Amino acid sequence: MSAVAAHHQPTIDIDSTEQVPFGRLVSVELRKMWDTRAGMWLLIVTGALLALALGITLLVVALNDDVQLSSTGLSQVMIAPVSLLVPVLAITSITSEWSQRTGLVSFTLEPHRMRVIAAKLVTVVILAIVTILLAIGFGAIGTVLAAAISGNDPVWNLGVGQLAWLIVNQLAYFVMAFVFGLVFLSTPAAIAVYYIIAMLLPFMVYGTLYAFFDWAQNVIPWVDLGFAMAPYMTPEMDTSATTLMQVVVAVLLWVVLPGVIGMRRVKRAELK
Amino acid sequence: MIRVDSLTKKYGDFTAVDDVSFTCQSGRVTGFLGPNGAGKTTTMRVMVGLTPATTGEVSIGGHRYRDIPNPGRHVGVLLDASAQHAGRTGREVLALGAKLMGLPTSRVDEMLELVSLSDIESRRRLRNYSLGMRQRLGIAHALLGAPSVLILDEPANGLDPAGIRWMRGLLKGYADRGGTVLLSSHLLNEVEMVADEMILIGHGKIVASGTKQELLAGRGSGATHVTTLDTPGLITALEAAGHEVSTAGDGLRVEAEPVQVGQVAADTRIVLTDLRAAEGGLENLFLELTADTQREGLTREGVAS
Repeated sequence: MSAVAAHHQPTIDIDSTEQVPFGRLVSVELRKMWDTRAGMWLLIVTGALLALALGITLLVVALNDDVQLSSTGLSQVMIAPVSLLVPVLAITSITSEWSQRTGLVSFTLEPHRMRVIAAKLVTVVILAIVTILLAIGFGAIGTVLAAAISGNDPVWNLGVGQLAWLIVNQLAYFVMAFVFGLVFLSTPAAIAVYYIIAMLLPFMVYGTLYAFFDWAQNVIPWVDLGFAMAPYMTPEMDTSATTLMQVVVAVLLWVVLPGVIGMRRVKRAELK
Repeated sequence: MIRVDSLTKKYGDFTAVDDVSFTCQSGRVTGFLGPNGAGKTTTMRVMVGLTPATTGEVSIGGHRYRDIPNPGRHVGVLLDASAQHAGRTGREVLALGAKLMGLPTSRVDEMLELVSLSDIESRRRLRNYSLGMRQRLGIAHALLGAPSVLILDEPANGLDPAGIRWMRGLLKGYADRGGTVLLSSHLLNEVEMVADEMILIGHGKIVASGTKQELLAGRGSGATHVTTLDTPGLITALEAAGHEVSTAGDGLRVEAEPVQVGQVAADTRIVLTDLRAAEGGLENLFLELTADTQREGLTREGVAS
């Protein structure tokens, strides 16, 4: 009977169904970041690193009378642990859809792929902001504790502008990790390239070149996010139109360009 | 309900799906049969927009899949039960799906119960699931949003015989309530008992389609299998009546229609214990129609008999 009735109206009535709200896509993507064993451990280890970094810093302050740390200095110390591992979550939020093949389900439940990618991008932005605030919070606790241990007055020199730039910096790196995920669609490749460009090159190669060669001082701030944003990371804020252009160019090079390439790739990619 | 219209998918020079057209009616289970690599999975991936078609179109309930809002509420899809994060629990996989579709969490428990995954099993991570458990979870996921169309790729794969019987009942009941089911398999006997209609695909092309009766119609070989209590007597009688007889297993194969054989037996008062047309069954039809695409040449021997 029902089969006969259905024959007369072989269509699906979609008028009463709403599109999946974007906020729901975001909350699902947020949950997917920590509901796997890998995601959970990454966050636990990051929390432990944060506590460890604070402990070691305070130990140094306690053992050396002549060391005095400002809130800016302490916040920068605290940012290291949250910047080290958490970008992996930004990468795997994309690449695990391919490596674990969950994209088959994700892009079936929301066939508009760019909505899924946008929701993931929002979670990465949230992650970047939360980790910075966490680091600064730990930095503030550290500032109070360090002052108490050393007997000096706490130095509160982290300005609003500088805080904003810390967030911009963190966002740039997290989104860079994210778009590398889009470009490579492979966890090991994206992670390797990310760490080479974000950590290995600046510390091992650029740092040395920058110290010894004039041309390197002229070139590197245009091609490396860290060097480009360095002037904005200090309380002095020794900046100019050139430094701002350098930030724009570096962001275009490492965030926008790979982002465009990656989105085109995902739009056309076949999920198997 | 599902309408595939001149669908072609090419990868370079290779044509995975070649001008395929068929429809799946609501209230019916449609079996999509073909050997591995025949194009079943590619066709199904195109249906739900995971693979772009080279030419041709698919509509589900009159819409393109990507135009269906919150598609999980209308179309249940299981393409590969193993395509889930190994580090996630079964319950979590369903909870994510329910959350995305905007369903209450109670739906998760309902589905777990429907597919007989226990509470303890549902809290295990997927890397510890057997293929059968993954299939059950995948079927639960496909049914989460109470869809009116089901698209299942090899859902019986990895299920034990009891599980296959369970799934058959589930899909039959689903279709009886007006749902549309498309399920694929490379094993005929998985589909034969549940499908109202069958589509046979080989080499990316549809080689036959219709109900089981339609597929077998006109394929009578004109031969009969018969067993009797008096084999020598029946051979004598049949040969006397001018029929060609050969032994086949513990019975006889006669080049005549069953009615003629029965008549001879009745005339000579010989007791028959079995009498049926040697139609070769669906299995032979399946092998024959897809023979060109089989990887093994030896299947031809089976077809020849």
